[in-house]
Amino acid sequence: MSTSRAHLDRRDFLSWVHRGLTSSALASLMLRDSTLQAAPLSGEAADPPPHVPAKARRAIHICLCGAMSHVDSFDYKPDLVRLHGKSLVSEERPDVFFGQVGLLRAPDWKFQQRGQSGLWVSELMPHIGEVADELTVIHSMFAETSNHTPAMFQENTGFRLNGFPVLGSWLSYGLGCETDNLPAFVVIPDAREFPAGGSINWTSGFLPARHQGVVVRGRGNPIDDLFASRQIAPANERATRELLAAVNARHLVDHPQSDPLSARMQAYEMAARMQLAVPEVADLASETAETQSLYGLEGKETGDFGRSCLLARRLLERGVRFVQLFSGGTFGSPRRNWDGHEDMVQNHGQEAKRIDQPVAALLKDLRRRGMLDDTLVLFTTEFGRTPFTQSAADVVGKGRDHNQYGFTVWMAGAGLKHGIRYGATDDVGYRAVEDRVHWHDFHATVLHLLGIDHERLTYYHNGIRRRLTNVHGEVVRGLLA
Amino acid sequence: MGAALLPLVFRPVATADEPAGEAVQFFDRELAPLLARRCLECHNPAEKKGGLDLTNREAAIAGGDNGPAIEPGKPDESGLVIRVEAGEMPPKHPLPAAERQTLRRWIESGATWGAGNIDRFRYTSDARAGYDWWSLQPPIRPQVPQLEGSCWPRGDVDRFVLAQLQQRDLKPSSEADRRTLIRRLSFDLIGLPPSPEEVDAFVDDVQPDAYEQLVARLLDSPQYGVRWARHWLDVIRFGESNGFEYDEFRRDAWPYRDWIVRSLNSDLPYDEFARLQLAGDVLRPDDLDATIAAGFLAAGAFDTAGQGQQSLAMRAVVRQDEMEDLVGTVGQTFLALTVNCARCHDHKFDPIRQREYYALVAALSGVRQGNRELASCKASAERAAEIASADAQRQELLAQVSAIETPLRERIAAERSQVPVDLRPFAHWDFATASPELKLHGSASMTDQGLVLDGQTGYASASLDVELREKTLEVWVQLANLDQRGGAAMSVQTPGGAKFDAIVFGENEPGKWLAGSDNFSRTQPFAATVESEVAQPVHVCITYAADGTIAAYRNGRPYGTSYRSGGTAHFADGKTEVIFGLRHAPAAPGKLLAGTISQARLYDRALTPDEVAASSGRFVPTSTLRERMTPDEQSRYEQLKQQLARVEANLSVARPAKVYGVKPQQPEPTHLLVRGNPAQRGEVVAAGGVSSLAGLSAEFGLGPDAPEAERRRRLAAWITSPGNPLFARAMVNRLWQYHFGVGLVETSNDFGFNGGRPANVQLLDWLATELVAQRYSLKAIHRLIVTSAAYRQSSRHQSDAARLDADNRLLWRKTPVRLEAEAVRDAMLHTAGVLDLSLGGPGFQEMKMEIAPGTSTYLYPPDDPTRDAFKRRTLYRVWARSGRNALLDAFDCPDPSTTAPRRAVTTTPLQALALLNNAFVLHVCDKFVERLQREAADDPARQVTRAYRLAYARRPLPDEQAAAERVVREHGLDVLARVLFNSNEFIYVD
Repeated sequence: MSTSRAHLDRRDFLSWVHRGLTSSALASLMLRDSTLQAAPLSGEAADPPPHVPAKARRAIHICLCGAMSHVDSFDYKPDLVRLHGKSLVSEERPDVFFGQVGLLRAPDWKFQQRGQSGLWVSELMPHIGEVADELTVIHSMFAETSNHTPAMFQENTGFRLNGFPVLGSWLSYGLGCETDNLPAFVVIPDAREFPAGGSINWTSGFLPARHQGVVVRGRGNPIDDLFASRQIAPANERATRELLAAVNARHLVDHPQSDPLSARMQAYEMAARMQLAVPEVADLASETAETQSLYGLEGKETGDFGRSCLLARRLLERGVRFVQLFSGGTFGSPRRNWDGHEDMVQNHGQEAKRIDQPVAALLKDLRRRGMLDDTLVLFTTEFGRTPFTQSAADVVGKGRDHNQYGFTVWMAGAGLKHGIRYGATDDVGYRAVEDRVHWHDFHATVLHLLGIDHERLTYYHNGIRRRLTNVHGEVVRGLLA
Repeated sequence: MGAALLPLVFRPVATADEPAGEAVQFFDRELAPLLARRCLECHNPAEKKGGLDLTNREAAIAGGDNGPAIEPGKPDESGLVIRVEAGEMPPKHPLPAAERQTLRRWIESGATWGAGNIDRFRYTSDARAGYDWWSLQPPIRPQVPQLEGSCWPRGDVDRFVLAQLQQRDLKPSSEADRRTLIRRLSFDLIGLPPSPEEVDAFVDDVQPDAYEQLVARLLDSPQYGVRWARHWLDVIRFGESNGFEYDEFRRDAWPYRDWIVRSLNSDLPYDEFARLQLAGDVLRPDDLDATIAAGFLAAGAFDTAGQGQQSLAMRAVVRQDEMEDLVGTVGQTFLALTVNCARCHDHKFDPIRQREYYALVAALSGVRQGNRELASCKASAERAAEIASADAQRQELLAQVSAIETPLRERIAAERSQVPVDLRPFAHWDFATASPELKLHGSASMTDQGLVLDGQTGYASASLDVELREKTLEVWVQLANLDQRGGAAMSVQTPGGAKFDAIVFGENEPGKWLAGSDNFSRTQPFAATVESEVAQPVHVCITYAADGTIAAYRNGRPYGTSYRSGGTAHFADGKTEVIFGLRHAPAAPGKLLAGTISQARLYDRALTPDEVAASSGRFVPTSTLRERMTPDEQSRYEQLKQQLARVEANLSVARPAKVYGVKPQQPEPTHLLVRGNPAQRGEVVAAGGVSSLAGLSAEFGLGPDAPEAERRRRLAAWITSPGNPLFARAMVNRLWQYHFGVGLVETSNDFGFNGGRPANVQLLDWLATELVAQRYSLKAIHRLIVTSAAYRQSSRHQSDAARLDADNRLLWRKTPVRLEAEAVRDAMLHTAGVLDLSLGGPGFQEMKMEIAPGTSTYLYPPDDPTRDAFKRRTLYRVWARSGRNALLDAFDCPDPSTTAPRRAVTTTPLQALALLNNAFVLHVCDKFVERLQREAADDPARQVTRAYRLAYARRPLPDEQAAAERVVREHGLDVLARVLFNSNEFIYVD
């Protein structure tokens, strides 16, 4: 971690004092020198990846909060249409979150086969239908719980409890960042609200805190504390940096061989570079009008998520390892996530309009920039929704309850077979029955694509070499190209 | 560091009573360890993979799904040999040739078995710890090394350290200078920098025991408890909100945090400290402190949504997850044992059986969380004195307040009403002065304004033993806002809320009052005007006549038009409650009122319009009283009110009304759960401990249906037993860790196979036995450690030593440490001269607290960081699980949802940005500048000197002085203040 500056001796310091600030070489090092680029941060895992050839260098995760209905979006079940208004035939009474098992309800959106691949996508997601050939769809996901927050924890950390590191933190720990001007793990929450649990959703858990997700916003100050919370005269700002560098250099003279002290000094240089890099990346206006409209930036419904997707692409382009986008906020009324208990048409209609065009734009844009060849896109939700409605037993209601037994997620991009569907639920989409995929398997596959053996990315904590995949997980080979 | 430094302590297991015979010996020596290490992880009675159990001869011969495993004398017909030699077993890790040979030879020679079953936990192997594992053996007080020719050791601690250094031809460093020592000690023991005056006094102190006196002074400081409580709270993952989806705020978690501070300050013996946290509420049921101490059991997260779901099966999973978290925390905290790893199967690395995990679950399965009322608990003598003194002050102040208020009140009432009003309500509540028989729920609190309700969790209730049909509900209420919907100021209900009559605000129509009732059965709109402001309290009254007529009044005048409902509701004698703030039970968002209720009355008849008018005039709000006071009275009154608020705050700190803690319930018998799955119940397991702790019985002598209290009493006794080899070791190791940056065992929550090996096992054991000998006094151990020469060493780097021991595990110097997040924040405030050192009480909330609209989910967005309340020590911030602080996080403040036995120390650009730009930091910089201007006038030279002394506990050298002065003259003091706070010398302690 040492730099030339870190080894200033006492004579240099005195000469600096003598020459004064304006001609200081230190000053230019602190703020302007581009020749003194530190090596990009690398991960700090004990057994550093790649363990297997990496297909993807970076990933973006679109995380739908509240549970998107698979039977209304990607998992086409002709029998569900046929059996609309009938009872579910099942050996035991379904054990659902709110306890009400109504009659089966046909999807509220018409399904069509899309693209060369002929993947079924409903009219809920017409734009994503246009890029069906990019998708690698998993129909056979199942979760361990039908309680949102523990299920979201599991979706992101592999565990149902608070306090475990999320996927992004593991990647920051294992792979580090391709740039030292931006954080390795960036989170872009829904513009309306944080998800329930807020920052718990991007915690580094027991991994060092530097691996937690950094919230970047598409509007206003992109990162907390990027600049002083009040106006400080540029001359004073510069004087602060210069004196600080000098004071630290002076201190280092009496503390030779101290990596932590040199590292802190270097961190201030990196901070200065971040102050230049972050506003640049957040400046969406520099994109062409065509790109802006592709993402729906001007659209009333698509504007928020469009900005998030475009910002995410810009972050990835500049070396950020993992960007996580949240679609949806907390649970409650009026609904502002995918938790369509009362009225699927209203709820999913509203939420899909916000993200459909932006997500499709992201895939198209990544493709045309060649980025999809080494970028992994994840589109997930914590569990699915029931094929029957949440209503009295003899009624076809309008809403659907939580379904942990079967649901759909998709991936796209590097190292995957494109335009395929994997696994299947039963005839009405209630239970995953074929090639079932657990989150541990999903995570193992994501890590594999990023060059990581999920059994080898470990961190010792309280008696266990912890893994993202606990003691489970198999790479889902059927998804790989 | 080399393995040679870490000798494993294997103690030979007695062989005297084992059967003789060469074949048996061969089996015990060669075969049993081989099978244990290679095969039994799967082929044991519990797992029985492939139907095969290889722990005893009969089962092995009987074989598994693929037939007999062993044919004595016929290796080529023995499944065991065939599978092993084919490389199929053990899967993925084929046996080395020598071991295959051993197996074959054993079967050829008749497969003689040894003494009984093989216990795969018996011996430590290269894959797991056995009963002979070092940390499971009782600490035996080691001989202090006798060292020739060194005058370096100041005590026995140093002799152990020096002996190891000498083995590696290393020399300790010389003692650090006094300025370094006082800064080091001060941060270490109280978490704050020394003042320049303290530095001078110590540097100039010529007494031979100056250092020891300094240690004594710091250990006696109440700030010691504040500093060390934070370490403890890290380990037990203390949080003040539930986590998970709702993350509800726990308003009353702070008394537990205060108990830790108090106990550390009074040097409560560590065994008692532990016992009370595990079982204080049942060991001393009437004792305030003991009940609060058990808050430990409720410090973790709680999944309200999970516990509230319909599915019984899923609720059971949530409960088991909760138990894993609790059992794990208990085991790691007190025993440095990761028992939680045995939830689904026997521990993979340590000799802990799955059954034993469930024995510990049984011991703790009665633990449930919630607010625990403390009114019936007795305070300790120490607290009683605090309480009595505060109470006496309070009474005195109340009398003085009343002396001003009462005459005014009477005068105003006389002016308003010509007719004396005596309406004889059969129940009335004057919330501003007294609260007989009233129960507060959630966040509800009483102030001199009345009953304060936040619309989120707060309400109050009282039971009534009178029959009611006709009635009048009357209330004086000031709404917090006009947007709220559906809360009630006052309600009469049957318990459970199936039937109710209530004064409801904004339910069907925004801004309007309503006579709420069950299923709207007696509810119709009054067709009145909407409320338009919240500046004044309003008087609202609803009368229910015998013929079903319901009339409402606002400020004494009819409110809209009355109507005739289907009839009056009957509330039976003894089955009626009055509730304030809640429409009807159960409490939930959308039924709770936000506002302040000052008075309420209930009548068993319908008042007439005249009576209502007269009654409404009787109420005199404090604002009206204030208007009528003379200026002298007014200033005196404000002064009294302020004093009263302070005294009442002290009183509630000394005598908390409730604590978020344990609310035990008698549990169902505990079952072992196959693969940890609640749907697959195995045998019933009674409460007990872990049997591999040498010299300590794991038997609690309890049946599976033993009373809850007894289970925890036995657990506490087992954990704190002097015969427990882990209890004292784990704690002295933690103390060592916080003094030196790393423990003698690096993994302070795990002394098992996966943990670190002790860097100096003799020193560890000596300290552990010393803790017991010192009657578990933690301060005695602190004193031993910080007065040692090892601790007092200079931190100067030595290249020669670093080549041999780069991590300084042998202590050839004192490793410099980075301040923890809290210490950074506290040190800035202290240096700026604005740190509020007051102890105890509710935390300061540096974030806003909001309920996401239409949900039960709490959000904690950041708040303006410059408020005065934020100048308390960081320990006293509200530690909501999702209410993080970017500045503290940047300095590795751990997630309060997970135990942090040792904090990470990382350096990032975001940390630099936070310390440079955070609004709180800039605000404290301003305060630092003000202080410098105050204490060093306008003289930049003196300002710089003072700044260095405050920030670094030293004077600047001439070159530093010159450079800093130049900046101050050209750019002002705030540049210097910001630089010092950001500098390495401020953040690191030598």
